[in-house]
Amino acid sequence: MDTSEETSQSEYILRPMNCELNQLSMPDGSAMLMQGNTAVIAGIYGPVEAKPQKMIYDKASIEVSYSPIKGPTKVDDRMTEMYIKETCEAAIIVTFHPASAICINVQELEDSGGMLGCTINAACLALINAGIPMKFTFAAVNCMIQEDNEDIILDPDSIQLQEAKAEFTFAFDSMDKNVICCYTTGCFTETEFLKAMDRCKQASQYVFDFYRNLVKKYANVI
Amino acid sequence: MEVSVGDVVMPGDTVKDITTITKKETIILGPGLRREADTVYAYKAGVLRKTEPAVYYVDSYQKRYVPNRGEHVVGIVTQKSSDIFKVDIGASEQASLSYLAFEGATKKNRPDIQVGDLVFAKLLVASKDMEPELVCVDSHGKEKKLGILSSDGMLFTCSLSLIRKILNRNSPLFNMLARSQAFEVAAGMNGRVWVKARTIQETIAIATAILAAEYAPLSGIKKLCSDIEKTLLLTQSGNVE
Amino acid sequence: MDSQYKIIHPVKYLQDHLAQDVRPDGRQFLSFRSISVNISSITHADSSAIFKIGNTTIVCGIKAELAAPKAESPEYGYIVPNIELPPLCSPKFRPGPPSDQAQVVVKLIENILRNSAAIDLKDLCVFKGKLVWVLYCDLMCINYDGSIIDACIGALTATLNTLTLPETLYNIETGSVSVNYTKRLKFPIKALPVSVSFAIFNDQLLIADPTDDEESLCLGRLTIVMNEDKICCIHKPGGIPISQDLFLRSLTKCKKRAELIRSLIDAAVSTIKQEHLNE
Repeated sequence: MDTSEETSQSEYILRPMNCELNQLSMPDGSAMLMQGNTAVIAGIYGPVEAKPQKMIYDKASIEVSYSPIKGPTKVDDRMTEMYIKETCEAAIIVTFHPASAICINVQELEDSGGMLGCTINAACLALINAGIPMKFTFAAVNCMIQEDNEDIILDPDSIQLQEAKAEFTFAFDSMDKNVICCYTTGCFTETEFLKAMDRCKQASQYVFDFYRNLVKKYANVI
Repeated sequence: MEVSVGDVVMPGDTVKDITTITKKETIILGPGLRREADTVYAYKAGVLRKTEPAVYYVDSYQKRYVPNRGEHVVGIVTQKSSDIFKVDIGASEQASLSYLAFEGATKKNRPDIQVGDLVFAKLLVASKDMEPELVCVDSHGKEKKLGILSSDGMLFTCSLSLIRKILNRNSPLFNMLARSQAFEVAAGMNGRVWVKARTIQETIAIATAILAAEYAPLSGIKKLCSDIEKTLLLTQSGNVE
Repeated sequence: MDSQYKIIHPVKYLQDHLAQDVRPDGRQFLSFRSISVNISSITHADSSAIFKIGNTTIVCGIKAELAAPKAESPEYGYIVPNIELPPLCSPKFRPGPPSDQAQVVVKLIENILRNSAAIDLKDLCVFKGKLVWVLYCDLMCINYDGSIIDACIGALTATLNTLTLPETLYNIETGSVSVNYTKRLKFPIKALPVSVSFAIFNDQLLIADPTDDEESLCLGRLTIVMNEDKICCIHKPGGIPISQDLFLRSLTKCKKRAELIRSLIDAAVSTIKQEHLNE
């Protein structure tokens, strides 16, 4: 069964998404996600024994490491790690596994725009695959405002991003579609921000549908 | 989103059937479900299942073991100290196993267990806040099938859902395999399986059959077993020549 | 009784206060701490400022140095922000290399400076392809009590606003540099970004300008940076999901606060100018 039929409904709004779960044998859960040409692979180990200095007695500590495609982890990547960590922390029921650690490792494979959103979505799919208890799933959507005509473009690629006045990444929860995380670059007005948030919110439904279809596909096999 | 039995659920979905039950019956929420006020939410992704009378759970894929009280596991002894063994059961923490928790063991008569040995044991204590504790005896002090596993068998790991599948009473896998081969197997709920048959070839064949069962539907298991049987016969005759 | 309670049940201590519609330091949910700005107190730096929000204190100094530009951007200078969170400012920090938090704050400040376009890096160019200014902006936290980004941005903008660079000439034929330290030129600042932080608690409760205690117990953090009437950064790294309504409320609150901070910085800068004139 291929994933093309799942993506057909969303291709007008978002770039096509393709995902393979459980591709890595060592991690407890893994997901390789492609959104357009942006690709990442995420692997989860958990719950495992926490290091004594990072152990929290009443909840699981979450450790995130993000590796860019080339070179060592830089200051910029710490920001990405922080976004992944705090977004996952909001979704995971940390009290179910006290004094343990959940390690989320994300490796960039190719960046053609919307990297942060793609890493967050891959982390969510890997968490689902690892069977980590979660309050809800989360979906990140990217969008940008064009420089000249102020149009909002959903899920732009790196070529479109060159003409961006402002770029937004939002992550929404699956229950109430509220904003878990929000990252912006560039200058924009309040109305532009709210409009962009609204468009991304609508588009997040496609990501959630993609998740559900993917789980359905894998549930049939097992 | 609201879901009912048999559907694929995602974390955060509410289970419709349970909230609408008005009868005064005891409902048991199994793994993957949690209650918040009057609503039942799923916290894992998988298929929502129900067993009579009212046990609900989410059948999900998982590799990492989370200890549960009363489950049988295959563990590896990693450490020996004055009165307990430390056993790796694949969970976030090592389990402890008292040397008195064996049939007929006393302070003088200690069981002969070395670091690296395999044990098939039952979880006596498994709580999220405490170190898991194993025993190799039942409540009557008898060993039954628990205890040390001999070192001439083979140990391999698989996913937790496969273990649940092969240990299911309706699963024909072991019955089918037993028709042509004699073997011993210890399947731990922690995703570790220990197999021992008459020859090395047979042991490998059985391990392969178990691993192949993961992606085979119930109806396909019969064919799978006969395939393995044939291959085994061929290799054995090859060896004789 | 109060302080024992706080140590034994920090979470309940805060929640009990919030249930009574008041914060542990006596503020209303959406009221801010007082700010003080002190400009040009470090004479060795090219410009400096001390910015205080309640107890949070940040000292910022800018040192300008001359350097060769990068080959790919010959007419742009650089700006290098750096923040130090030493063990002095809070028991949370240990000596050693910069913590993850310090790295994230530096990155965020860098982003805000770029997004707000407060500085045109071309203004740092002395001679295209040969000589540019590098601005080392060192931010030092000497008392850490929450809303660190707000204080950093405040200190940085106040410092940048008073920055003067000596007149520098580059002789293309001889390659010599002559710096005239007696004649200093005001460095042009294009915008004045102002950052405002919020903490979010259960049931979409919004709290403005959180202290360190509130920040460490809150379920989500939100930082908005305003640039005149535009927004140049909305930073919410995760935490509890928030509704659109909450965004609207925080944006309205943020606008008012930004005006106040801006007028305060402007006032501080103008007093300095006044002093210069009197000299």
